[in-house]
Amino acid sequence: MKKKLTSGASSLKLLKNNSTVLLTAAIVIVYGILALQLYGGGMSRQVANMLIPISVYIILAVSLNLVVGLLGELSLGHGGFMSVGLFSGCLVSIALAEHLPMAVRLPLSMLIGGIFAAVVGFVVGLPALRLNGDYLAIVTLACGEIIKNVITNLEITGGALGLNTRPIYSSAKTLLPYAIVLVLMTVIVMMNLKKSKHGRAIMAIRDNRIAAESVGINVTRFKLTVFMIAAFFAGAAGVLYGHFFANVKAVAFDYNMSIEILVIVVLGGMGSVPGAIIAAIVLQALPEAMREFSDYRMLCYAVVLILVMLVTNNPTLREYASRVHPRTLWKKLTGKKKKEVE
Amino acid sequence: MVHFIQTLLSGLSLGSIYALIALGYTMVYGIAKMLNFAHGDVIMIGAYAGIVIVAQLGMPPVAAIVLSVVICALLGMLIEYLAYKPLRQAPPLSVLITAIGVSYFLQNIALLIFGSQQKAYPTLFEVPDFTVGGVVVDGGTVLTLCTSAIIMVVLTFFINKTKLGKAMRAVSEDKAASALMGISVNRAITLTFAIGSALAAFASIFYGITYVYIKPTTGAMPGIKAFTAAVFGGIGSIPGAMLGGILLGMIEQFSKTYISTLWADAIVFGVLVLVLVVKPTGLLGRKISEKV
Amino acid sequence: MKKKFFALMMACVMAFTMTACGGGADTTGDTTSGDTQSGGQTASDSIVIGTIGPLTGPYANYGLSVKQGAEVAVAEINAAGGINGKQVVLLSEDSQGDPDSAVSAYGKLMDDGIHALLGCTLSGETANVVAAAAEDDVMILTPSGSADKCLEGNDKAFRVCFYDSYQGTAAAQYIVDNALATEVAILYQSDVDYSVGLYNSFKAKCEESNIKIVETQTFTASTATDFSTQVDALVASGAKVVFTPIYAEEASTFLTQAKGKFASDVYFFGADGLDGILGKVEQDPSIANNVLMLTPFAADSDDAGVKSFVESYQTAYGATPDQFAAGSYDGVYVLKAAIEKAGSTSGAAMAQAMTEITVEGITGSMTWTADGNTSKAASAILYFDGVGKLFG
Repeated sequence: MKKKLTSGASSLKLLKNNSTVLLTAAIVIVYGILALQLYGGGMSRQVANMLIPISVYIILAVSLNLVVGLLGELSLGHGGFMSVGLFSGCLVSIALAEHLPMAVRLPLSMLIGGIFAAVVGFVVGLPALRLNGDYLAIVTLACGEIIKNVITNLEITGGALGLNTRPIYSSAKTLLPYAIVLVLMTVIVMMNLKKSKHGRAIMAIRDNRIAAESVGINVTRFKLTVFMIAAFFAGAAGVLYGHFFANVKAVAFDYNMSIEILVIVVLGGMGSVPGAIIAAIVLQALPEAMREFSDYRMLCYAVVLILVMLVTNNPTLREYASRVHPRTLWKKLTGKKKKEVE
Repeated sequence: MVHFIQTLLSGLSLGSIYALIALGYTMVYGIAKMLNFAHGDVIMIGAYAGIVIVAQLGMPPVAAIVLSVVICALLGMLIEYLAYKPLRQAPPLSVLITAIGVSYFLQNIALLIFGSQQKAYPTLFEVPDFTVGGVVVDGGTVLTLCTSAIIMVVLTFFINKTKLGKAMRAVSEDKAASALMGISVNRAITLTFAIGSALAAFASIFYGITYVYIKPTTGAMPGIKAFTAAVFGGIGSIPGAMLGGILLGMIEQFSKTYISTLWADAIVFGVLVLVLVVKPTGLLGRKISEKV
Repeated sequence: MKKKFFALMMACVMAFTMTACGGGADTTGDTTSGDTQSGGQTASDSIVIGTIGPLTGPYANYGLSVKQGAEVAVAEINAAGGINGKQVVLLSEDSQGDPDSAVSAYGKLMDDGIHALLGCTLSGETANVVAAAAEDDVMILTPSGSADKCLEGNDKAFRVCFYDSYQGTAAAQYIVDNALATEVAILYQSDVDYSVGLYNSFKAKCEESNIKIVETQTFTASTATDFSTQVDALVASGAKVVFTPIYAEEASTFLTQAKGKFASDVYFFGADGLDGILGKVEQDPSIANNVLMLTPFAADSDDAGVKSFVESYQTAYGATPDQFAAGSYDGVYVLKAAIEKAGSTSGAAMAQAMTEITVEGITGSMTWTADGNTSKAASAILYFDGVGKLFG
């Protein structure tokens, strides 16, 4: 995956699809404006301090979307995957802090953190072969809590005191380019996967596992792959997140954080990459913009979550009820436009 | 030996509360076929109701018991009507996300009304401790255990012998067929929620008496662990929930005493993962074949 | 076409959100010093001090104490003519106890033009804000961030409170000095840095001082409701002192379940985290009987400075101040002394001044080393039937 990133020519080939190109362009433009402000000095400190966390949440939401939106399984352990990546990647980065320059060390530690997270994703994905629906949701939640418990009790990760990431601490100005690249990479991989043969196979598993199996789709392989890819990006995002803070504790990555990421995915529209991006920005920026109302933030989350589910599952509001899984509000809106235009 | 018996007793105490909560979970899951993630938070609301009724309105303890049962039952029915009923035909994923939403909603409403600081649950009644063979037995534990056992027996009788219970079982088997037989599916499910939530009220009373302090997040962890217990015992099975709850409480307390308090959480959740992977139907659960 | 439109719309939405957010930064925070309403326009004629802490959420009691303690000090200083003739403005931001949010709050305070930061309240917040502020010329003085490492990496960061390893060591020393016990038991929270930090240093000092640790019990946030196995084990150990370096909320649950099970001469010995325990056991204050708390501040002290502070605080907020409020009150005076010594509000100049000044505060006489730490005498308060009295 790193190869795709570093070589410009091959990444252009990846952008074969029109909507992927547009989305990528939009992200580049927005980040370009933000970067101009950040490096030009015109940006307020409050916004500057939010750039990295928001980018991390975008990656988390887009990658979780692969599991929830495409595969149709509910994972409540995404915070745990992020945590695994964060701690393994940051430990590597700390160890190499004096030997390698940032430009090599950060991508390398992201890769390693991602791989560790993917391995854990594989292990957590194993029960997914036997379970689905509510049971799988609870198992992923339990795995997330086990990960939290283990990391808190390990000595190498700093235990309850948290990992001292001060040796690798970097400001938003240093980290922004890496964040942009990682966001773009995640988005391009997700968009292309969604449109590829494999993506359609995954969606077939979601819509009808038995039918998918009967046409020769290897359900085991696809399910595990999806869990691993999602965990990989969550882990890499975790490494980025760890570099932005001076101290990180495993207790922060509990099931509440996983639910927060899920809320982003649901609000953005399950399966929709641009939706997840916008929802991540809105849900992370809004509480900061209205600091005084922070008490009501979680209440609003809850109401929005319930309403989105009720609206998207209402038969009269659902014009395209051909699929088993809920179409999203966002998709419906764009879908309607499609009809008018044509 | 004394140490062992003490651990056994505290395991029974914790386990009987898990069992009470798990009974509610298993009722709803068995009949409505949905995971009511908000069940734990109904307990929290029940506990706050108890605090308001006794500590702030100055009503007698009996009123607290009766009213918190009524409040929880009504709350359960309201949640079902507003959030779950419109999703009867929706995929399980949507229902689960809605349930998570309801759980967050209840927690944050409680946070706004009662604040984040803990509140003490009133002493509704004094249960005397007694000594058996040199070991002090907590009266509250015995009472919780007896109450859960009685509730289990009553529930089993209700489900198996009464007309309403039979209707609920029919709905659990096949919604469409039971509707054809003249059973009101909606009424049966509403009733299930009312009973399940009333059980949550009982759980809240015993939780309050045993652990005293109530916070908006009080219901979350016991809720998740009780769900673990329900799955452990075989979800949908009433004796299974009882057995699962008590076993889980035992596992938690014994691992705290004899292994390490550091790893108690990981062990409890590890048990859940193991049970689900090895025997997804639980200890006493029925095997459900997949419909195509 | 529609896809282009869609992408454009999305770009607009994203840009809008960011701008809206930037716009939000212009609004002022919780301005508390009375006569001045806006922090932005006061840069030249006043000194702006920011505080960050949990004003909502489970740790709100600590954050509110810090905010209110600072308000009392600011009101006194302003009434007496301010710092170098300039009035002091206090801006308080909420972090909900979340380190991530504390960094954003710091950014917002910088946008509002603060000259010095009195914060953060919790160690986790402090560590991240201290790192984020490394390149800014702003002094950071935390009234209560006690984790050993939370000041690392920024030579303009100082603290008013004890640091964790000092507290743990001081607690063990206190047991030796007052011959409280030769055998102790410990209960600590294994997923909280504060608790683990104190435990580690306490244990090390005990081994050095020949105090025997006969039992060690732990709990985590998710098992903090049921202490029955811990209580049984601690009672069985027969230790006369149970070291409890935990927070007041968990302590109240533990003590409620422990009530009547321990012998009446067993002390529960803790540190600043236990502050506010009486507020948590209002329904039965005797639950906190025999709680011994190591603190640099005792509200019932005869010291004139303490008396006047306690009086002003009670008039303003109707409550007895805890050591978080006292630390933050002292913190404002420390900042004043540093600004006066340095002759400017430059962080580097103030940091230089910090190592040269001595401040006689209500939490003791303080001098600072360049690493930001201070050492001062600790006394212990014993609670009995809802009243805290100086012990010994």
